[in-house]
Amino acid sequence: MSAPPVIPTVPAQPVVAMPFGRTVQAYLSDAKYESLRLFRTPAFSIPILAMPILFYSFFGIVLAGKSNIGQLANNLFVGWTVYGVMGPGLFGFGILVAVERNQGLLTFKRALPMPTGSYLASKLMMAYVFAVAVMIMLVTIAVTMGHVTLPTATLIRMAAVMSLGVIPACAVGLFIGAYAPASSAAAFANITYLGMAFLSGLFFPLSGFLHDIRWAWPTYHLSQLARASGGMKSEGEPLVHVAVLAAVTVVLVALAARKLSRKG
Amino acid sequence: MADGTSVGALARLSGAKKRYGATVALDGLDLDIRPGELLALLGPNGAGKTTAIGILLGLQEPDAGEARLFGRSPHDLAARRGVGVMMQEVMLPDALRVGDLISQVRAYYPDPLSFDEAVALAGVEKLVRRPYVKLSGGQKRQVQFALAICGRPRLLFLDEPTTGLDVTARETMWATLRRLVKDGAAIVLTTHYIEEAEALADRVVVMAKGRRIAGGTVSEIRSLVVRKRIDCVTAVALSAIEAWPEVIAATREGERTAITANDAEAVVRRLLAADRKLTDLEVRRAGLAEAFAELTQEPVE
Repeated sequence: MSAPPVIPTVPAQPVVAMPFGRTVQAYLSDAKYESLRLFRTPAFSIPILAMPILFYSFFGIVLAGKSNIGQLANNLFVGWTVYGVMGPGLFGFGILVAVERNQGLLTFKRALPMPTGSYLASKLMMAYVFAVAVMIMLVTIAVTMGHVTLPTATLIRMAAVMSLGVIPACAVGLFIGAYAPASSAAAFANITYLGMAFLSGLFFPLSGFLHDIRWAWPTYHLSQLARASGGMKSEGEPLVHVAVLAAVTVVLVALAARKLSRKG
Repeated sequence: MADGTSVGALARLSGAKKRYGATVALDGLDLDIRPGELLALLGPNGAGKTTAIGILLGLQEPDAGEARLFGRSPHDLAARRGVGVMMQEVMLPDALRVGDLISQVRAYYPDPLSFDEAVALAGVEKLVRRPYVKLSGGQKRQVQFALAICGRPRLLFLDEPTTGLDVTARETMWATLRRLVKDGAAIVLTTHYIEEAEALADRVVVMAKGRRIAGGTVSEIRSLVVRKRIDCVTAVALSAIEAWPEVIAATREGERTAITANDAEAVVRRLLAADRKLTDLEVRRAGLAEAFAELTQEPVE
């Protein structure tokens, strides 16, 4: 072994203040490594990135192309974008928090001087990074091959509105991750994800009881917001949709925080 | 305002109690960690060592008593910025490379070691580009050690750090620990390896059943135990030796006889009287291992 470098390994002061700039750096570095590790985890990155694109390509290009109805193409764009945007937050939080709780990573992070909130903030930023990647691909497909009748600028504006869905998606995921055992968190996340997508009428019209309770799902409110922002036919008041999404987020985060702070 | 220097202890547990259901993990533990010392916490499994560290780090709340880090609450982020941690069981993100992990943890500290310094001190130069998941158990421990020291902490908590390490890696870690202590860091080390405490510790605290049963320097702990070991080559029958009242145990391997006794002088007198041709006589105080076994079986109370 080479001789150790001559450097002071111990600071003179017992407690050294953290400059604000370094705290910001810590948040950014956590977000970077959280995104990096998930891009490098095919079990996460492939379904999250590829599924919405494959499904949208199949339904949006092939089926909508045969129907010659622009309205259907627009509906499919909204449906699959909501679907794609919700995935990273839901799975990123739902599975990872449960697994990391189980593996002791969360305990280790709590022992470290990780800035308060950086654990969640880094996952939120990771979810945004993935969601933006999904949206860019979906908008590209819609514009080039998707038979949509809306102008590109409108599609981008709608995508931006739908990106707000990352936040409630993260809240739903966090709730699953805080309460579900690591072994079944993936199943809970999948059921919730598909359930919310179908039961809110993203892909086909609902009827009867399911139609009556469609307002119970965050995905319904997000898709209505997107439709309103694109000038499409929509239900309800945009402000009410925003309020419902915010309320769902606050309640689920509060419930999850209660569980996580008790047990870690 | 109380800070690390004026209290004299970097970290302190006072009357800490903790139970998990019916199990008592800590039963009123007092513990001081002073600047520049390596404190070894010894004790059998379930003695409460890991719980004591968990409470000092704010990972668990004591049912009674108090924990202070640098005179502050362990929940205070500023206090934890002076601390480095190596836990017994931790899984790190598989997909990240060793260098990523070190960079990520360094970012949590106000004045960390440089990346290269941390890597060199932990002896993980060759692992930097490797994904964490591909490492062996011992290599993972080395990386976790790098994560513990990379923030330039004033106080290090190492829970069984050398478990699973090969001899070279253990030597590197010991050398780094000595270096850190020399530079003024305080280290709390729990270990199953008695020789590790003997080699490194300035002070030893022996715990059993959530209580401190002995504390002092390594030689003080040893001297708490009156037993001695006598080795010799003798023709005296083993059964005769075992019959002497001062003898606790006697064994013979090949031609060497090993005797454990409370009053070594009396046994030596008997041996020399019984066998004029006795050779290779050796009398030793019990090692820390023997002391530890005796202490934890028969608590001094």
